[in-house]
Amino acid sequence: MGTFLVSVGIGLATAAILSLSAVAFTLEYAVSRVANFAHGEFLTIGAYAAYTGQTFFHQNVAAAALIAAAAGLVAGLVLNAALIEQFRGRASITVFIATLGASLILQNLLVIVYGAASVSYTFAQGGLHHVGPFLWTTSDIEVILSALAVAGLIYLLLQRTRFGKAVRAVSQDRALAQVSGIPARRIVMQTWALAGAISGFAGFVLADTIGTFSPTLGFSFLLLTITATVAGGIGRPYATFGGALIVGLVIQIAGTYTNSSYELVFAFLLLVVLMLLRPNGFFVRSSTAAVRA
Amino acid sequence: MYWVSVITEAGIFAILALGLDMVWGWCGDFDLAFYGYLALGSYMTFVLAIGRPTPPVEYIIGWHLPVLVAIVLADVAVVALAAVIGAIALRNLRDIYFAVTTLGAVSALYLIVQTYTPLFDGFNGVYGLINPGQAALHLTYNGYRIVLLVVVLLILFLAYLLVQRLSRSPFGRMLRAVREDERAAAAYGRTVFSAKYRAYLFGAALAGLTGGLFAIFISAFNPSAWTPQELLVIYAAILVGGRGNPRGVIVGVFVVYTGFVELTRFLPSPASRPEFGPAMRQILIGLLIILMLRFRPEGIFRERPGVDREQAPGGRPGRLRARAAASAASAPAGPAASAPAGPAAKDGGTQ
Repeated sequence: MGTFLVSVGIGLATAAILSLSAVAFTLEYAVSRVANFAHGEFLTIGAYAAYTGQTFFHQNVAAAALIAAAAGLVAGLVLNAALIEQFRGRASITVFIATLGASLILQNLLVIVYGAASVSYTFAQGGLHHVGPFLWTTSDIEVILSALAVAGLIYLLLQRTRFGKAVRAVSQDRALAQVSGIPARRIVMQTWALAGAISGFAGFVLADTIGTFSPTLGFSFLLLTITATVAGGIGRPYATFGGALIVGLVIQIAGTYTNSSYELVFAFLLLVVLMLLRPNGFFVRSSTAAVRA
Repeated sequence: MYWVSVITEAGIFAILALGLDMVWGWCGDFDLAFYGYLALGSYMTFVLAIGRPTPPVEYIIGWHLPVLVAIVLADVAVVALAAVIGAIALRNLRDIYFAVTTLGAVSALYLIVQTYTPLFDGFNGVYGLINPGQAALHLTYNGYRIVLLVVVLLILFLAYLLVQRLSRSPFGRMLRAVREDERAAAAYGRTVFSAKYRAYLFGAALAGLTGGLFAIFISAFNPSAWTPQELLVIYAAILVGGRGNPRGVIVGVFVVYTGFVELTRFLPSPASRPEFGPAMRQILIGLLIILMLRFRPEGIFRERPGVDREQAPGGRPGRLRARAAASAASAPAGPAASAPAGPAAKDGGTQ
């Protein structure tokens, strides 16, 4: 029972990071109808920006997190302007392949700037705490709290602000939103900036939790992100948090009782089962029609 | 000798590209698992041909088969894996869902091969297939490499003839019909899944064969020799040459491979930064993919439109068509004659 609860605790921390990454991925999809393969690189860029920043800001975790988010924001803006908008109106698979190219470019730019070898932060991880039945480090707790905070902020932003209303309109029908007087182009741009900032922050948190990281950090997290997104139902921000929770718990618990290096294999199995049985996510009535072009 | 090696490698990858183009070019399914098929073909060729492992080295099977038999058996294993992945991914999933599923499959395969050492010795990989048959053929090292080049080009040529023939066959036309409009093709009585599935298995068989040739070419195989991302070079080559056009695909591979080999030779490569050259190469491939997709998605050589042999000027009518035409001539009131009346009557009704 003890082992089980510990793995549930770690699973919750994993789910928290996953939910940040997945909600950003799903926001990108919602406004641009693009499965962004370069999404993982937003995380990596955030992680490396914080790595560069930590020396300037004397190990201040909050400052590093802000730098990561800012770098991700810039990356989101640039990718949207330089690539996604250029491919507007093209088949979704074409844009997907283009983002694959972008992923290759960004990942290797990071290799050139920072080298291919792993690096690590020098922040203190903090001691272990017993919180109810779970065993968490200080940074685990910070991660979970920040994920909850981001979830709350996104809910308020999407439901209670004019911007949120516009995002929902654009994600349903961009052309219709445009003729109704919503500046669709700007809304899409701002959404990418928001998604980039969340991703950059998620990248910092992910790198800090893992300990060491390299330019493939985000790419290897992408499959988990996509699995969580599909579990929630792609393009549905709130359900994504539920999807991340399920995926985080499943891979962590399965990993604890078998071999933790096979995390990705479990993620893949989960993804396949989801795609075949529940292609629109756990929280909708299943229909295979949406999966077809 | 340097160029012999470059052209041999390009020739091997051209065979892979022909297989991949059947799946992406003809059927329109963007598959990311294909490099896994090459890898499995390569691994299996090794473990079937290099004999028992000596501890601490470990890998499965460890037979000592003649290398040609090993390649054939390895290819069977590859097709079996593709049959499983294809059965899952092709049935209902399309577009990005298909791409993501195949990416997941190849990532899982990569991880298992890397982590589970009893399979192919994990990170160390397998090795020891050094110029099989060199002694039997009484060849020098250089002579052997040239013979290998000739064999690769010969196999490429045979693969090209086969693919070209398939491309123009009813099967090839059916795949393209399915690609253009799956529902319409299904409505005309084409079984979509079975058509795509057969093309997928055929493509995977070419990829497995590539793996066997690759095993002979580089004589060692381990996880640092392949990552799923390597497949993007092949996609870039197909994009450059012309998706769906076998001749274009081969030209694309040779242009991209030799082009990049030449380019990377002139790149500055400081000894302190060994990763600079390969990273630069990947960046260029990424750029190439994006620019081709944006500005010339059809590539240098366009896909040749399907030719209706009956209507093609100067084209020979096929045997079946000739027979059909003959029977139509003897019975002029067939369904073909009455078909144009349908839409015309409808137009009349709306006016």
